[in-house]
Amino acid sequence: MFKYRKRVLAASAAIALAAGLAACGGDDGGESSDNPTGDAAATGEAGGTLNYLIYAPIEHVDPQRIYVGRDITNFSRTVYRQLVTFPISTDPEVSNTPVPDLATDTGTSEQGGKVWSFTVKDGVKWEDGQPITCEDFKYGASRVFATDVITGGPNYLLSYLDIPTDEKTGLPAYNGPYKGDGQELFDKAITCDGNTITYNFKKPWPDFPLAVAGLHMMDPYRQDKDQGDKSNFQIFSNGPYKLEGTWSKNKGATLVRNENYDPATDDPDNIRRALPESIVFNIGQTTETIYDQLIADSGDAQTAVTGQRVPPAYYNQIEGAVADRSSLQASPYVDYLVPNFRNMTDPKVREALKVATNAEAWINAGGGEKAYAPAESIVNPAVVGYQDNPAFSGPQEGDPEAAKALLEEAGVQTPFPITFTYPSSETADKQAAALKETWDAAGFDVTLDGLGDTYYDVIQKPNKESDVIWGGWGADWPSAITVTPPLFDSRINLTQNSDGQDYGAYKSDEFNSLVDQAQEAGTLEDQTAALQEADIVLGQDVAYIPLEIAQFYFLYGSKVTGFTTTPASSMYPDLGAIGVES
Amino acid sequence: MYAYVVRRLFVGVIMLIAMSLVTFVLFFASPIDPARYACGKNCSPELREQTRNALGYDKPVIVQWTDFLKGIVQGRDYPDDPELRAAAPELVTHCPAPCFGYSVVNTKTVNEEIKEAFPVSLSISVAAVVLWLFFGVLLGVMAAIRRGTIVDRGIVAAALVLYAFPSFFIGLFLLKFIAIKWELVDVPVYTTIAEGGIGGWLSSLLLPAVTLAMLYMAGYVRMTRAFVLESMTEDYVRTARAKGLRQNKVLVKHTMRAALTPLVTLIGLDFAGLMGGAIITETVFNYNGLGKLAYDANTTNDLPTIIGLVLLLGTFVILANIIVDMLYAVIDPRVRVG
Amino acid sequence: MTVQASNLESEQLPDPSGAPEGDVSKLAGKSPTRLALGRFRRDKLSMVAFVVVALYILAALSAPFLVKFGVLDPTSFNQELTDPSTGGLPIGKLGGISWEHPLGVEPQTGRDVLSRVWYGLTFSLAIALTATILAIVFGAVLGIIAGFSGGWVDATIGRAIDLTLSFPSTLMLLALSSIGIQLMADILPGTFSDPLPNGAYVVFVLALFGWPGVARIIRGQVLSVREREFVDAAVLLGASRRRIYFKEILPNLWAPILVVFTLTMPAYISAEAALSYLNVGIKPPTPTLGNVLRSSINYSSADFIFFFTPAFLIMIIVVSFNLLGDGLRDALDPKTHR
Repeated sequence: MFKYRKRVLAASAAIALAAGLAACGGDDGGESSDNPTGDAAATGEAGGTLNYLIYAPIEHVDPQRIYVGRDITNFSRTVYRQLVTFPISTDPEVSNTPVPDLATDTGTSEQGGKVWSFTVKDGVKWEDGQPITCEDFKYGASRVFATDVITGGPNYLLSYLDIPTDEKTGLPAYNGPYKGDGQELFDKAITCDGNTITYNFKKPWPDFPLAVAGLHMMDPYRQDKDQGDKSNFQIFSNGPYKLEGTWSKNKGATLVRNENYDPATDDPDNIRRALPESIVFNIGQTTETIYDQLIADSGDAQTAVTGQRVPPAYYNQIEGAVADRSSLQASPYVDYLVPNFRNMTDPKVREALKVATNAEAWINAGGGEKAYAPAESIVNPAVVGYQDNPAFSGPQEGDPEAAKALLEEAGVQTPFPITFTYPSSETADKQAAALKETWDAAGFDVTLDGLGDTYYDVIQKPNKESDVIWGGWGADWPSAITVTPPLFDSRINLTQNSDGQDYGAYKSDEFNSLVDQAQEAGTLEDQTAALQEADIVLGQDVAYIPLEIAQFYFLYGSKVTGFTTTPASSMYPDLGAIGVES
Repeated sequence: MYAYVVRRLFVGVIMLIAMSLVTFVLFFASPIDPARYACGKNCSPELREQTRNALGYDKPVIVQWTDFLKGIVQGRDYPDDPELRAAAPELVTHCPAPCFGYSVVNTKTVNEEIKEAFPVSLSISVAAVVLWLFFGVLLGVMAAIRRGTIVDRGIVAAALVLYAFPSFFIGLFLLKFIAIKWELVDVPVYTTIAEGGIGGWLSSLLLPAVTLAMLYMAGYVRMTRAFVLESMTEDYVRTARAKGLRQNKVLVKHTMRAALTPLVTLIGLDFAGLMGGAIITETVFNYNGLGKLAYDANTTNDLPTIIGLVLLLGTFVILANIIVDMLYAVIDPRVRVG
Repeated sequence: MTVQASNLESEQLPDPSGAPEGDVSKLAGKSPTRLALGRFRRDKLSMVAFVVVALYILAALSAPFLVKFGVLDPTSFNQELTDPSTGGLPIGKLGGISWEHPLGVEPQTGRDVLSRVWYGLTFSLAIALTATILAIVFGAVLGIIAGFSGGWVDATIGRAIDLTLSFPSTLMLLALSSIGIQLMADILPGTFSDPLPNGAYVVFVLALFGWPGVARIIRGQVLSVREREFVDAAVLLGASRRRIYFKEILPNLWAPILVVFTLTMPAYISAEAALSYLNVGIKPPTPTLGNVLRSSINYSSADFIFFFTPAFLIMIIVVSFNLLGDGLRDALDPKTHR
């Protein structure tokens, strides 16, 4: 799935606020590990070989560069332990509450979230038996700053860590461990005192533990193993598995037991059950071939799981005994449209577009209810502090008549020409044509502009001809702060040459000040309240129109045991829990 | 003869240099920014600028091109930034001459990529050539001998029909039905001789080779048939038959020998073209050969890999042309090169 | 893909000496043209192929009018005819076949399959036809000039042919698609995703890599025509080059050109389909045989009619064109045998 591979990445989230708060308050950090999982996450069987079938090659295996939701959890459950991590649980409250992993607790914060410290556990080791030290964590974080070598990963640290900005380049004055300019600034920002690591930030980061658990950017890295870009496909493990041989980008790799991993330092039940004797990442077969084999349940497919969604052409084969091996859950992603505010300046015209949008036809053209669920906000319901956006509640099949009236009210000449830009694929082409039907009926004259690999280049250009643009997004960690601000804050997105991720060039002082309020907030409650308000502003301005939430419809082999998808694993199969019959 | 070969090779090298320049200029004009792809999500304009510099895409196209040519002659070190290489020698990847470049997307030199992919493409191509040559010539001769009969018509029509279905349709059909649904053969996964022995290697090549062979076989059936028919009226064949030679012997001894020249030309050119033309087959079956490498490089805007492949495949075609001309001289005494 | 060597060059082209010469033929009673026509008419298979090709062309010509008058409707949705709970499969047997939708409807959208393939045929044939004509015009003109002039002109054109043929065409086609289509969108009306620029790109690239093959064949034919008396006479009479090229030589080449035409058309129809599979070419909702096939390719189990229809239609037209080409060649060249 092109859409979720390239851009839409990340972790997922809690429906209820309270859970997140307990973990992040600071003093009570240790508690969450005592929480029983208290849910029905099934238990599998130990031994055997589990196959994980993947279509598109994984672009980065280096912890500081991984940025795909599925891969983040796959690697935290197997090879890359984190300071804190999300536990195995189907209950979002539990699964989105970080628990201690390599750290002794979930961290303590001072100065309203501007300083965070963690203490590394004793007895935790790398795969060669050496202990994991505070310096390894510090070195790992330093790699994020080598933006000319370690590319493609999450770079939140660049704007948060207390390091001055270089006037000339607009980037932090520290440029990573390789060139080492400004090393002293970095050494001040992150300090090690024995086993305790302390991070100093420029601004409060109340949800920092969520960010640590949701991404691998804060992972430890051993300096003597670092070869920069050459390390992109190297795995130096500290988890229950290690790489056997090398990682082949086009074929995948096999993970086997890591004998230097000590389960006593971990919380196997809640984080890593590590049931299979080995795990094979099998990369390259098309989604259709994967499902042909899973449906036939032949050979290695019997012990296989996959993160590819069932293609609609295969739905009718998933019945009877095959259906017993399927799983249908909402994903943590939302697809949406943005009107281009440079061209669609009249709020009435944008309102008409919203009213005429037939999200239901879009959903049906994409495969129907097993493919997508309706969305009522750009924020996924799994995010902390989610609420329906009142601007988008109600029926979603579009009302061309009402839209026509709005266009008339706006006094624009009809048919009103608009260009809809979206990333072309066999399914997306049909879905776009479905939207065109009601838009045309409402008095728009729609040109479909389906693009190939130039998509993001085109829609980021300020002078684009697009009037309506498709987007897809998921939270990087379960907080709306990783959803609406990166997409609609004009100050961080709009420059002379690029619209950044604010594809519609939306600019609102009201929205921006709410974002400031959220970022200055010292507590999660205040942050969440500000973000909820910000979403309402977006809805009133029709800054976006939500389309749907992709459904994760998976099939797995008959010998797979304890198949579970958790919010911690972005609703992909959770490798921490799954086993196979041997 | 040697002078001729040297001259042809010289012209070939000039042509490759021209090709590389054309390719560079064309790709440089592309609206796709490779730095955006490398930089990833949440990439600010400043970061993208830095990524572009780090990848060396900020230099003028002519400098990039001469760097590339220098790399082919002398080899190259990556990353491109000399300051970074000096500060952190453990990061350096040396790409020995002839260096085709470094793929940021795959974190490998293009030479390594080609070295991995080449045996796969070569295996599929050779297997396909053997299949279509054997069946193409056999069926062509059979059709010619029974010309005008239902056998003739049937063979020609069947070959044509197989050719006329789009090759990805044939490939997917074989994969879905023969391998997965009816389980007549294993789902093809490329196996090297080291992994699966000769048998495993051959059986892993079966479906892709059949897919490719179907595409080419029709042409060979029809050519062989036409040639056999035509040669039957030639004087030397009539003489041979008048001498009382059996038809089969005439066929083998006289007709087939005469057919060899055009066959060699065709095979040479088709084979060279196949190395780059198996994009669809390799994509359908997910075999990581040169064609799949090319397809993937295209979807990820991996310019160094694309440029390296264009030149490599161009070299194949140029060499094949030279070899075919050489073979002419050997097979057909009437032809003199020079 | 693009035309393989085996496709064009294996064809035994009619000897131009067998081609008609207008003036002489009047004296001979039946002209060679009429003789050829007669031979062609007696060949039943070729006649069938001719009728099929004619029907396809008629269908392609009529489709735009039928769409305009609402008889065919390739783009309107009928989602009420599909079932969202089965992933949008058509309701009813055999892909939702009914009187209104004789070939059923497309899954998820409910668009009429007959309308889509019928209208798609128009675009597929238009692409193939334009590309074929361009390739033949350029190939023939350059082939005639090269063959007649000889010397450095011949050598230059020969090198240009070699250079073009050395590029791996499929890879270039893919790799250049974004810049190429952008370029087309700049010169032609329509945006990046409109049918015209996308179709024009395919036409342009097919012709770009197609002309050298034609030029080679024509050059070879010209070499033998050049030595004939009427050309010498024209040269002696001081006729201009242009006159010699187009008034004296060209009329003697129409037979091979016709054959090349009928054999290039099907290759380009296949190429359009293959390129659609690689996501290059006219994009939906505008249908082509290729993009309809691409959207149907995964429905082998769920909706077999939908899966098989476009591939079958492509197969029929490709086979028919090939048979027609064979028949023409045989009819035009009395030396070949059936």
